[in-house]
Amino acid sequence: MATREVISTGNELAAIAAVDAGCKFFGGYPLTPSSEIMHVCSDLLPKKGGVAIQMEDEIAGICCVIGAAMAGDRALTATSGPGMSLKAENLGLAQMAEVPLVCINVMRGGPSTGLPTRVSQGDILQSKNPSHGDYKSITLCAGSLAECYTEVVRAFNIADRFMQPVIVLLDETIGHMHGKADIPTIEDVEAGIVPRKRFDGAPEDYFPYECGPTEPAVLNPMFEGYRYHFTGLHHDKNGFPTEEIETCRKLIQRLEDKVEVHKNEVESYEEFMMDDAEIMIVAYGSVSLAAKESIRHLRKEGIKAGLFRPITIWPSPAEKIKEYTDKIEKVLVVELNIGQFHSEVQRAAARLDIEGLFKVNGRPISPYEIVNKVKEL
Amino acid sequence: MSKTLMRFTGVGGQGVLLAGEIFAAAKIKTGGEGLKTATYTSQVRGGPTVVDIQLDEEEIYYPYANDGEIGFMLSVANVSYNSFKDGVQPGGIIVVDPNLVHPTDEDRKKWKIYEIPIITIAKEEVGNVITQSVVALAIANTMMNAIDKTALIETMLSKVPAKVHEVNKKAYELGEKYAKEAMAK
Repeated sequence: MATREVISTGNELAAIAAVDAGCKFFGGYPLTPSSEIMHVCSDLLPKKGGVAIQMEDEIAGICCVIGAAMAGDRALTATSGPGMSLKAENLGLAQMAEVPLVCINVMRGGPSTGLPTRVSQGDILQSKNPSHGDYKSITLCAGSLAECYTEVVRAFNIADRFMQPVIVLLDETIGHMHGKADIPTIEDVEAGIVPRKRFDGAPEDYFPYECGPTEPAVLNPMFEGYRYHFTGLHHDKNGFPTEEIETCRKLIQRLEDKVEVHKNEVESYEEFMMDDAEIMIVAYGSVSLAAKESIRHLRKEGIKAGLFRPITIWPSPAEKIKEYTDKIEKVLVVELNIGQFHSEVQRAAARLDIEGLFKVNGRPISPYEIVNKVKEL
Repeated sequence: MSKTLMRFTGVGGQGVLLAGEIFAAAKIKTGGEGLKTATYTSQVRGGPTVVDIQLDEEEIYYPYANDGEIGFMLSVANVSYNSFKDGVQPGGIIVVDPNLVHPTDEDRKKWKIYEIPIITIAKEEVGNVITQSVVALAIANTMMNAIDKTALIETMLSKVPAKVHEVNKKAYELGEKYAKEAMAK
């Protein structure tokens, strides 16, 4: 695949990716350390016939994005942890009503307003279940500048395929760092766009939620003659509220299964020097950069360490993790929280002896801290 | 050329971020690897700010400079100087604005400390205080011999409006002059 070299920041690349992927609408409220995504969208979208709007708060931000998506546009919102808390209710609505959208969370220290300008990965579990109820979150996590671009592009395609919100996690470090990225050409990105499905029959035959048990709803754009009812309540094939026992069960089971059964379509991870690894480091986002640096040092000293980096965080690459943890004894999860993905690795591995290196003071984990921890194992 | 690690520190609003971006971009344009990260506080203006710049021939993974490995630091605020000086390796170069930063005698033994009144130069000799980041850029590049001067100036000019090109070129030349004088002492 052809690439182009750009010099930019993660946040800028994420915004450019959205525009290149055909996003026509940004709605949100600027929040450190994600604000540059909104700045760039405000600059680029109007030039491409799109709209960027600053709403009165983060809640209104996602509400107007839901509306734009229902009208048929690819739509984006971006925020940080405190904004995710505010958007949670409407992320649930978009899950229930099956509205495709992309929500970027540039993670900072939490909980609450936390550490606004400092790096964290404290929103891993939040992104699995931002809202109450049963559904299957899809969450992608960029581990390099280039991935701030490619994962946002992928998120839009996944959202339209599965008809639900897709969360893209960046963190303060990766969002603000400034350097080189080799990213796909616009032509390649455009060639890879798969528009969401639409129903082309007679409007009176249109039932958006009448679909196979592992398939997403088919929501035609509003205002084109295809009518449906929109609700967060359990609903029937037309979208009208219902409490009919089997309809309710099938709906929620389908929200789970449409992702679970097809999760191989979204699975993504990187294996870095894992071929002969005797020590497995699990890290994602900006921490994986420190991990790679530490592996460089460790290998020079003859210590065979490798990195497993989930790119799709949810659903997690659990089978692949187990494949490794079945044969590698020493496993270390390094993350900027107190073990949020560590618990997932424990679950996937069915082992309680997974080691952890955690930090929650808003500072990055340095390669030397990882080197020292690995030597202690 | 091996890895160059530089750190610019100041307080929010002084323009140290831009200087870092220029360095990284110029290195990339000349075929190497460059990465800039910034750390700042939630006080937008007045909080200590630190910019780490890494220039290398091979791929850079970890985006921050490791403490103890930094070869050059420039500081235009005492609060930032005190917070971040320990990242500089013993014998490394530290440039301070003597009107704003006050190193201890112990510091002077540990590092090569040069005093250059960066802000006064920008304000009075260049005639525009916001060119201090370009004066700083010139000092860093002259002392570290990090990047081809022409490439660095070209990148710098591409990031500032055309109407201030001349004043920024002047800022660069003055920064270089003062850096050479300081090193000759």
